[in-house]
Amino acid sequence: MSTANMTRAERRQARRIRRFDNPWLNPKLIWGAGLLLSIIFIGIVGRFLWNLDLVFTGSSPLKLPPLGFENLRGQPGVMAHPIGTDGGGRDMLAMIIIGAPNTLFVGLLASLIGMSIGIFLGFSAGFLGGRIDDTIRVGADVMITIPPLLILVVFQSAFGDVTLTMMALLIAGFVWQSPTRLIRAQVLSMKQSGYVQMAQLSGASTTHIMFREMMPNLVPYLFGSFIASVTTSIVTAVGLEVLGLGPQRIPTLGRTIYEAINAGALIQNLWWWWGIPTLLLGVIFIGLLLINLGLDEVSNPRLRRLS
Amino acid sequence: MLDDVTKDKPVLTLKDLSIEFPTPAGVVQAVKTLSLDIHKGRRVGFIGESGSGKTTTALAVMQMLAEPGRISGGTIDLGRTNILELSEEEMRRARLSRVAYIPQGAMNSLNPVMRVQPQMWDGIIAHEGHLDRAELKRRSDAALASVGLPLHTAELYPHELSGGMKQRVCIAMGIILDPELIIADEPTSALDVVTQRQVMQTLKAIQTQIGSGLMLIGHDMGLMAQTVDELAVLKDGELVEHGTVQQILQAPAHPYTKDLISSVPLVGGESFLNPDARADAPKRASSEPLLRFENVRKDYGSVTALHPMSFTLQGDTPQIISIVGQSGSGKSTMGSIMLGFNPPSQGRVLFEGQDVAGMNAAQSLDFRKNVQAVFQDPYACFNPFYRVNHALKFPYKQFGLATSEAATQRAMEEACDAVGLDPDLVLSRYPHQLSGGQRQRLIVARALMLSPKLLIADEPVSMVDASLRASILSNIYDLKDKYGISILYITHDLATAYHVSDYVMVLFKGHVVEAGPPKEVIGAPQHPYTKLLIDSIPWPDLDRSWGDGRTDWDPAKLEAKAARAEAVYRGTVPGFDLIKEATFG
Repeated sequence: MSTANMTRAERRQARRIRRFDNPWLNPKLIWGAGLLLSIIFIGIVGRFLWNLDLVFTGSSPLKLPPLGFENLRGQPGVMAHPIGTDGGGRDMLAMIIIGAPNTLFVGLLASLIGMSIGIFLGFSAGFLGGRIDDTIRVGADVMITIPPLLILVVFQSAFGDVTLTMMALLIAGFVWQSPTRLIRAQVLSMKQSGYVQMAQLSGASTTHIMFREMMPNLVPYLFGSFIASVTTSIVTAVGLEVLGLGPQRIPTLGRTIYEAINAGALIQNLWWWWGIPTLLLGVIFIGLLLINLGLDEVSNPRLRRLS
Repeated sequence: MLDDVTKDKPVLTLKDLSIEFPTPAGVVQAVKTLSLDIHKGRRVGFIGESGSGKTTTALAVMQMLAEPGRISGGTIDLGRTNILELSEEEMRRARLSRVAYIPQGAMNSLNPVMRVQPQMWDGIIAHEGHLDRAELKRRSDAALASVGLPLHTAELYPHELSGGMKQRVCIAMGIILDPELIIADEPTSALDVVTQRQVMQTLKAIQTQIGSGLMLIGHDMGLMAQTVDELAVLKDGELVEHGTVQQILQAPAHPYTKDLISSVPLVGGESFLNPDARADAPKRASSEPLLRFENVRKDYGSVTALHPMSFTLQGDTPQIISIVGQSGSGKSTMGSIMLGFNPPSQGRVLFEGQDVAGMNAAQSLDFRKNVQAVFQDPYACFNPFYRVNHALKFPYKQFGLATSEAATQRAMEEACDAVGLDPDLVLSRYPHQLSGGQRQRLIVARALMLSPKLLIADEPVSMVDASLRASILSNIYDLKDKYGISILYITHDLATAYHVSDYVMVLFKGHVVEAGPPKEVIGAPQHPYTKLLIDSIPWPDLDRSWGDGRTDWDPAKLEAKAARAEAVYRGTVPGFDLIKEATFG
């Protein structure tokens, strides 16, 4: 049957079936990835097309509105600063081009480190058992009960100015617990499964069983867990930045919001100053959420529907 | 109120019932124009392999078909009510009060955080509103008493009950509102033979007492013969034969029915094995006995799963030693001790003179190569991530047997041929694309490729369809002689043990209670426990009713009696030496 003489409903049905056969063509996954990639795209392309020196204080007129708007002083937006400038005379577009990828970077790096720790500890606990398992499990359980923001506030105020990497490392210390517990539970149940017993019968080494037999089956869980911890890491990072902690000299979305609040942008109706970074954070979170939902459907065929 | 109605009308009328499941690959016809009546007080068995549409039909009657299944044609009448015309709320009222469903896995059907009694009350309250506690208590107690459970069961949580008790609680919940029709979906498939007989007798008694119709779904011809009045044989969603049990057992008309009947191995019946397959076995190099148990004992906490046991398996001529017993008898524990997965609490296991617990890396690899296993669940034995040839290729390379990629491929193809599989068809597939029977054969093929000296087969056929059991077992049997493999066959199925084994050990609560050649032990049992096991087998033979058919049959009493009896050792076979336990009890 050619596509030409199919009715619209039939074509839609065919598309749904194609999607069922190839789960990666999941619309949620594609939209989510698209949103995140567009943030990265802004970061990369912006570096070539825009003058990044405009992030320095006083490089531009103060408090200019985005194009097509007027600020309280009656100044219109100008082409040179299409989404306005902040109270310190910095260009908002340059701030976004540098700040948004920075925020994403902190989240990705922190959860990458956290996941690695989680995979290592989770496998050790589940596989070796005994004293090691007890230590790791109790450690993770205790860490889960500690509110990360509280500890980080203390840490960061003690450190003063930190780099992005340093901040990611600090946050990573609080996102390894849930992956550890998740992987430990999966490893424990997988250890009893028939195919692991078969591998043992085949004389397989422990590393073979861990990485060749168990790990591939964990991939969907790891992906889901990774995305969830990216979200947590970004929330934590932004939380710290909005409190005025975190890197002092490097623009991030959270830092911009902090400065806007600090300078009274809410009262002066400088909505673009705090509004645009907030909007971008929203885009990042929605993107991550969509990816997580999409991955859920990919790894769990029962959630996929034909109807 | 329905009495006068149901007199002339069957309790269930299926007319041209068709059920379909739309899938990406097209519409699957799960049930095709099925017509059948179930009359009041009659027991009708639905028999067929997995995927034949038995459960789908039952769920359609309950209006509980899983998405995206739908009834595409025909009618279902419950008494005079066409249930396809009922609204959701009317159907809810009909469930349990008019038609009750007893599910397959009772262990999963009870709420683990509620005591039994409130769970039973739920059903009454949902249909009759709130009654006073005394009335509720009276009715739940009556239901429990009618399935032969003590009244204090009401106060227990599900995890405090045994499998058979849970299944009887489910039956009690099903009959609490005196339904017109009871649907029992393989109610005993997870239970061992002794419990199965007890549960089925309970179900029969209660059904006779309330006079409802019974739709029993199953795949065991023996169980059907012992339980139902009429039999409906389903194949690929079609009703291929329907008639009284006598008719079908004595003169099956459809070839598929004949297959189903002949696939049940009988103690003392015709053997399903090929007697000509015997060949000279390859000689062994070592003079040490192949496997030796020295006072091996296993405790789990304060429970002793296996009492001290000693035996020597010489292994010069390949033999099949069967270990039979109920669940919890310690037979699987024995298997995992032999494989070295589970260290014994006391005593030593020697493989060719080497202690299994204290091997170095090279010895351990050699032990792994020579001692292979076939497990119960063929679905779990393949890693879902890889194609099935990974399971065959990996150990072959691991043990250094592979000389080249082509040689490995050839060995895999030979092994597949040996177990009757087409290598081109199966090897490059993913596990979920194969049937249970195909997978289990592949596991046997995998073991063969390694040419082990000892194969531990732990319930190798209990999870595959009945029609395949005999062929897989005869596969294993033929290969024993061809490749010179000694086999330890762990099973609860006495009929197959009778045919395949050279020596049988009956295990009861971790003790060997009877041992000897199968013709004596299973053919003419002497120990009360062996007798109990054999009496519990449902025979697909109407003249041989379940044991002596008494209704006061109580396995608990018989087991207590068996625990006091002395173990019986019935002669020996050369090459296997079981040392009698010094103490017992």
